[in-house]
Amino acid sequence: MAAEPERTDNQPGQAENSHSALGWGGEIGGLVLLALSVVFMVGGWQLGLGVPTRLGTGAFPFVTGAILAILSTVICIEERRGDGIAETPDWVELFAICAALAVFAVTADRLGLVPAVFLTVIVASMPDRTLPLLGKVVLGAVVALGCWAVFIELLNLPLKPFPGS
Amino acid sequence: MDVVTLFYQGLLVVLEPQNLMYCFIGVFLGTFIGVLPGIGSMAAIAMILPLTFYLDPTPALVMIAGVFYGAEYGGSTASILMNVPGTPAASITAIEGHALAKKGRAGVALFSTATASFGGGIIGMIVIAVLSPSLAKLALSFGPADYFSVLLLGLIAASAVSNGGALKGIAMVVTGLMLGTIGIDLTTGDLRFTMGIPELRDGVHIVIVAMGLFGVTEVIASIRTATSGKATQTVDYNDFYPSKDEWKSLPAPILRGGAIGSFIGALPGTGQTIAAALAYAVEKRVNRRRKEFGTGVVPGVAVPEAANNSATQTAFIPTLTLGVPGSPPMAIVIGALMIYGITPGPRLLTEQPDMFWGLVASFLVGNIMLLILNVPLIGIWVRLLKIPYKYMYPTIIVLICMGVYSLNNNVFDVWLTLVIGAVGYVMRLFRFEPAPLLLGFVLGPLMEEQLRRSMLLSRGDPMVFLQRPISATLIAITVAILVFALFKTEQNRRRRRAVIKTNQGETQS
Repeated sequence: MAAEPERTDNQPGQAENSHSALGWGGEIGGLVLLALSVVFMVGGWQLGLGVPTRLGTGAFPFVTGAILAILSTVICIEERRGDGIAETPDWVELFAICAALAVFAVTADRLGLVPAVFLTVIVASMPDRTLPLLGKVVLGAVVALGCWAVFIELLNLPLKPFPGS
Repeated sequence: MDVVTLFYQGLLVVLEPQNLMYCFIGVFLGTFIGVLPGIGSMAAIAMILPLTFYLDPTPALVMIAGVFYGAEYGGSTASILMNVPGTPAASITAIEGHALAKKGRAGVALFSTATASFGGGIIGMIVIAVLSPSLAKLALSFGPADYFSVLLLGLIAASAVSNGGALKGIAMVVTGLMLGTIGIDLTTGDLRFTMGIPELRDGVHIVIVAMGLFGVTEVIASIRTATSGKATQTVDYNDFYPSKDEWKSLPAPILRGGAIGSFIGALPGTGQTIAAALAYAVEKRVNRRRKEFGTGVVPGVAVPEAANNSATQTAFIPTLTLGVPGSPPMAIVIGALMIYGITPGPRLLTEQPDMFWGLVASFLVGNIMLLILNVPLIGIWVRLLKIPYKYMYPTIIVLICMGVYSLNNNVFDVWLTLVIGAVGYVMRLFRFEPAPLLLGFVLGPLMEEQLRRSMLLSRGDPMVFLQRPISATLIAITVAILVFALFKTEQNRRRRRAVIKTNQGETQS
């Protein structure tokens, strides 16, 4: 904890780089929504639109899908003129947190709560370079035991604490 | 029965030991999470929500509300001490608050915040108690078409003012409405968009959407800034009490801030941030010491905080009397109530008087608890702020996993949270905000139901929305907001582009 590297200093430079590199970004958001809207329009159509007096199961998804299709198309066109992105993307952090959630999902049922929480903490704390591995292990152990006490002993969550138990 | 009697009965409800305990747990955990940098009241509520499912509806609602205003409060503590606002609304408090802290008067700033927060909360509570019954009476005459229009107004008002511009905000609302249809259609019993996955039969749980969009994305976005943050200042406890002059300068700004906050908070689509910003802007014009604003003055801390807290309370007015959430956290409140099978709306006041008045009275009790928690016990929070974020965020991730898992004891929900969080984070980078999506997601099923009913009653004539006077008025307001917001977005875009152009010109020459 004593020698914390000054990472803040080079951040403005990083931000500028990624801004120019991702200047095209906004269209991706628009395209994602456009794709989603098509799925719901087609799905809504297949479910049946019904008649105006008695709207079918598919009517609401179809109509909202159609509105979204129009909106996202307009967004895509607007974004070609480019606003760029709002903040510097933290890809490492995004990856680490997703990996942590995935580790929990894979291990919770198979290995039990304590190992799952322990591994989740280790993976989640990976992007932080100021905490040595030993610190991460200790943190993981403390949180895992705390979760055992709170969720299994106190709240009776139906989850085994250890593999085989 | 008059308001005072009803309020007294509510007070009896909230003073039952069990309710009192959950009120305390709520404000305590709310303050705790709110103090953490980068984690807002939305994430706080989402994380507490799974715990409340073990409770009866009344203590659950009291606890959720406590978390909400506790987190808003805790956010200001963090913003004063570290200039890292825990919640967006607290960034306004940070302007004067952090300036005061830099002058070595953090204690005074925290004390003023506590007082102002309490004052604002009480003003907001009085407004709720007085306004809600009459608003509920008015809303009883609403037909399905009027309800549809009021929901539409709420959604458009909430999304059109989003940071990324009106178009993106509305697109996110519509996406939410669309995703809300996943699962069983309650009217026909048909399955929709479940892709054969049995876990999707009951739809996506609101906790999963909220944890993914707010919990996971906020943690990812705050790791880098928060782990590199500096340690906090130590608060000088002897210097806690404001001088005599500062004492005298407090009441008027609190009243003004509280009044502005309660008004803004009750409007659909506005939130604490707008309330705090507007109250601060007004105070900057009318206060006697307006010239010193920005250098760290006590009224400047008090005003946004009073507005913030009163808006936090009055946001419950449209939520509980109309069933239309004024802000995203209120959407979660509605979602939670629906899980208990309670439909928020004008009938809630007459059918669940204990719950409604218990909640209103809990604002008084909760605010007193906050005062105790934050003036004599401020040292706890200051010490908490010193715990490095690197220990905190992995723990938060584990709590998110546990909370989501405990909904159905199924890891599928954790995978779903992962997907929603990752997509939400990337969308956020491109200025697509998550809050409107959540609003649409919660209100989608309600809106679809009202749409079906009105079409049935009108024998398939969509003109019904323009023929009923209440509905027509609401639609007119919606269109006006829409036009104004689109105009404003275009104006901002032009301005931004002009700035970029001049910058490019400078670098080239």
